[in-house]
Amino acid sequence: MKKIFYIIITSFLIFSCTEVVDIPLDTNSPKLVIEATIIWQKGTVGNEQKIKLSTTTDFYSNTIPAVSNAIVVVKNNSGATFNFIETPNTGIYVCSDFDPELDKTYILTIVNKGQTYTATETLKPVAPITDFTQETIQGFGGQVVNIKANFIDPAATEDFYLFNYKVKEGKKPDFYVSDDKFYNGNPFFSTVFDDELKVNNPITVTHFGISKGYYEYLNILLNLAGNQGGGPFQAPPVAVRGNIINTSNRDDFPFGFFSLSESDTKNYTVE
Amino acid sequence: MPFRKITLALLILFIGTNIGFSQVQNNNEPAKQKFTLSGTISDVKNNETLIGVNVSIAELKTGVTTNEYGFYSLTVPKGNYTLVISYIGFQTREETISLERSIKNNYKLTSNEQELKEVVIMGKKNKINTRSAEMSVNKLSISTIKKMPVVLGEVDILKSILLLPGVTNAGEGASGFNVRGGGADQNLILLDEATIFNSSHVFGFFSVFNPDAIKDLKLYKGGIPARFGGRASSVLEIYQKDGNSNKFSMNGGIGLISSRLLAEGPIVKDKASFLAAGRGSYAHLFLKLSEEQKDNTAYFYDLNTKLTYKINPNNNLYLSGYFGRDVFGISKSFINTYGNATLNLRWNHLFSDKLFSNLSLIYSDYYYGLKIDQVGFQWDSGIKNYNLKYDFRNYVSDKIKLNFGVSAIYFDFNPGTLSPSKPDSGINFDQLDKKKAFESSLYLDVEQKISSNLNINYGIRSSMFYRLGESEISVYKNDQAVIYNPNTKVYSEATPIGTKSFPKNKAIESFNNLEPRFSASYSLTDNKSIKVSYNRMVQYLQLISNTSSPTPLDIWTPSDSFIKPQIADQVAAGYFVNFNDDNYSIEAESFYKVVKNRLDYIDGANLIANNNIERIILNGQLRTYGLELMVRKNKGDFSGWISYTLSKSEQQTPGRNASEIGINNGNWYSSAYDKMHNLAVTGSYKLNEKWTFGSNFALQSGQPATFPNGQYNYLGLTIPSYGLRNANRLPAYHHLDISATLTPRKNKNRNWQSEWVFSIYNIYNRMNAASINFSQNQDTGRNEAVKTSIFGIVPGVSYNFKF
Repeated sequence: MKKIFYIIITSFLIFSCTEVVDIPLDTNSPKLVIEATIIWQKGTVGNEQKIKLSTTTDFYSNTIPAVSNAIVVVKNNSGATFNFIETPNTGIYVCSDFDPELDKTYILTIVNKGQTYTATETLKPVAPITDFTQETIQGFGGQVVNIKANFIDPAATEDFYLFNYKVKEGKKPDFYVSDDKFYNGNPFFSTVFDDELKVNNPITVTHFGISKGYYEYLNILLNLAGNQGGGPFQAPPVAVRGNIINTSNRDDFPFGFFSLSESDTKNYTVE
Repeated sequence: MPFRKITLALLILFIGTNIGFSQVQNNNEPAKQKFTLSGTISDVKNNETLIGVNVSIAELKTGVTTNEYGFYSLTVPKGNYTLVISYIGFQTREETISLERSIKNNYKLTSNEQELKEVVIMGKKNKINTRSAEMSVNKLSISTIKKMPVVLGEVDILKSILLLPGVTNAGEGASGFNVRGGGADQNLILLDEATIFNSSHVFGFFSVFNPDAIKDLKLYKGGIPARFGGRASSVLEIYQKDGNSNKFSMNGGIGLISSRLLAEGPIVKDKASFLAAGRGSYAHLFLKLSEEQKDNTAYFYDLNTKLTYKINPNNNLYLSGYFGRDVFGISKSFINTYGNATLNLRWNHLFSDKLFSNLSLIYSDYYYGLKIDQVGFQWDSGIKNYNLKYDFRNYVSDKIKLNFGVSAIYFDFNPGTLSPSKPDSGINFDQLDKKKAFESSLYLDVEQKISSNLNINYGIRSSMFYRLGESEISVYKNDQAVIYNPNTKVYSEATPIGTKSFPKNKAIESFNNLEPRFSASYSLTDNKSIKVSYNRMVQYLQLISNTSSPTPLDIWTPSDSFIKPQIADQVAAGYFVNFNDDNYSIEAESFYKVVKNRLDYIDGANLIANNNIERIILNGQLRTYGLELMVRKNKGDFSGWISYTLSKSEQQTPGRNASEIGINNGNWYSSAYDKMHNLAVTGSYKLNEKWTFGSNFALQSGQPATFPNGQYNYLGLTIPSYGLRNANRLPAYHHLDISATLTPRKNKNRNWQSEWVFSIYNIYNRMNAASINFSQNQDTGRNEAVKTSIFGIVPGVSYNFKF
């Protein structure tokens, strides 16, 4: 919904032109970034999980500093403990015995450099992708292939989705979020408009079930990752805070989110 | 209901003032009888009434200006006088009158342009009225506006006011304007007294006002008279032409973007006239030529109409209407439409030669619609208002004039209707809660001449606002629609704990406010004065928008239990001087304005299709202050002005209690329209009868923006990390524009008059930043800052004609 409105607002920019400029920027002292994204792909056991720790860095830098030697633990509310062990010097912490359970509550605890970070979240289910629909429509710049991945939204719950389209290797992943406010209980779809889509082009679509909190967080985050940043029709960009608390020093909050999602991935080839 | 109270109060005011003041007069000067000279002033060519004409009596050094309907009234002791009638661009007229009884005289003025062959009598100079207590007001005549160079040759009223001191906007292609550091939603824009809710076509490239149909405009930035209310920062009053009641005529123009055609003429000569004007863009016709684009559309149009009927010398009727739309469509499946419509009926009635009245019945609406068949939805939103207004002006004596009146407005808001656009759509029908409100007001304004040096205006407006049912209102724990998480320091939407139903027309919340207004001028000499003013303005409608300039899909919402009315207090002081035989004038003003209950939005607020706006807003405040300077050359082949504004506009939204951080840590921060420096130079030079040249130069501080102070990686995406809002600035904004107007010599002695206007906007091709975006380059994978510019150098040409 929101994405559609952005399309309208940016469509007026067809008159405009862009140029890369050199803007010197200040850099704040590094902050911890926690990417604790637990994903349980439908049809798998979901034992293999990873959590990534890194820090913020200079905007123009090409390398993202990894955070090593932290203690990363996830517990569920039945008392089971899952340890995440770092693959040395990568900042990637891996667990191979994770036990995912829908609608179960999990608690994340990370200790790094004497600071303790915690967060609590619930594993959200997702409706399966039923099939695909392909149409060719008239866009402003010519014909555009439009792919829809269909699903049936559950009527009983308020549902939030994260959709991911991989259209081409090496291309920035395309994510967007959606809530069922306007289609609760109905057959609905995720979609991609891409003028580079050609016949026989394989695409991979993943739907994730997410919590309301993660939906709100991603709503801001994905805007920051896109082409946001001022201009007459854009909301001012903001610092986005997730659900992870630094219990040692609440003012020094980390970036990132602790989320647990069920996901469904399907492949499709453009006809 | 408040109607009865208002009527009663009005009646008392009406009778009271007449009796009261006439008694005062009789007691003061029983010996010398006074008589009234009254009438209307119009243009001899087309009988168009003239607004703001100076009508003065030389011997008494007293005078009056004509009102919005061209009416004047002067009450002076019996005697023989020289009456001087002067108006910018017209020949000054002097009449000897013998006032032995009250008389009614209508005068017609001849414009300077019409009588080129004859000896040119000195026209009135565009000097400042240093004696009047009115300040912080700018008037622009349509002829001045038409001489200014503009983008693509499209004459634009709103773009021209940006050259005035204290007025800015968010840059090229941005809609709305900002007055003295206020928001674009804080301007009351009136077209023939009807409110225009969205003043832009094509997201802000052009304004909705067809320059051919406009007679006059006046911008009040401060010292706002009590007859205006409802917006916190300014009033832009625009008057449409009445239509030529002398003879049928047409004029129009062909431009690169749009073309215009206006027809006007008498229905009954000298009594009834009509005006119809249309304007439309036609760039989309070129889309039809291309096979790929033939189903796409992008155009705008507007229609202005007016009927004027002079029933008799004491009664005039005006019916005017406006209708405008923007349509943007991609094939048949994506159609975006929006625009304003207004209709109003006005009745001017003279109760006596001293008491002028105008009764207005006004309807205006704004509509936004969007259909996307791909997703299967149709979205409609809008606002409608019905306004009944009765205004009086009593020319009590040459020392006192009274303005008073009442107004009642009923608002009907539709924040959004979502419906399936086709049978197989997965979209559910949804109606966001419709909102109703009623605003009534009562005002009295006194213009008083205390001595020959001191003039004061003082007044009060009493405004009442009711948010009405029928409606279901969400109830929140502790009445807090926004919850604060002290652990993560994040504000988010609260979940309602219940709802409360209000039946039809039941007041959900009500407000009433007294809005005092005051201004004074003290003349140091005939040509120099100092002026001071104070005004309180209350704004009950809020535009829900957190972008730096409004977008067509922003919605208006009434004040209620969660959204408090904005209350603005402004003080201003100024020094005004005309010098060098009135050829030059200087206006210097300083102002300080504070707006309480300015809305601010929580981080990541979702404004679109949000049924509970109260869950994303916090009440803050706005303060602005500054210095304005305007130096003008009023007369001669070369005329123009330099305006410079030094100002600051900041907002603050502290936490609601000590444990909350508020927005931006509760500190004052730059509002989106904070521009410290704003310099504008505009001039026109008449080389000869054939060629006239115009030029504009604008230089402004860059728009506040938020730049990243780092980056991180999440979900494989580069995320710029941002600090405090509006802590940075875009590069300085400047451009130089020129225009040349060619009036062919063969125009002389023929009916068909024409001119060519050539213009170059942004002659040195400055790529002003509309925004700077920080993101990862798709191809190189490197992070970069990308500047978006709207216009580089833009040449334009248009052809105008009249016959």
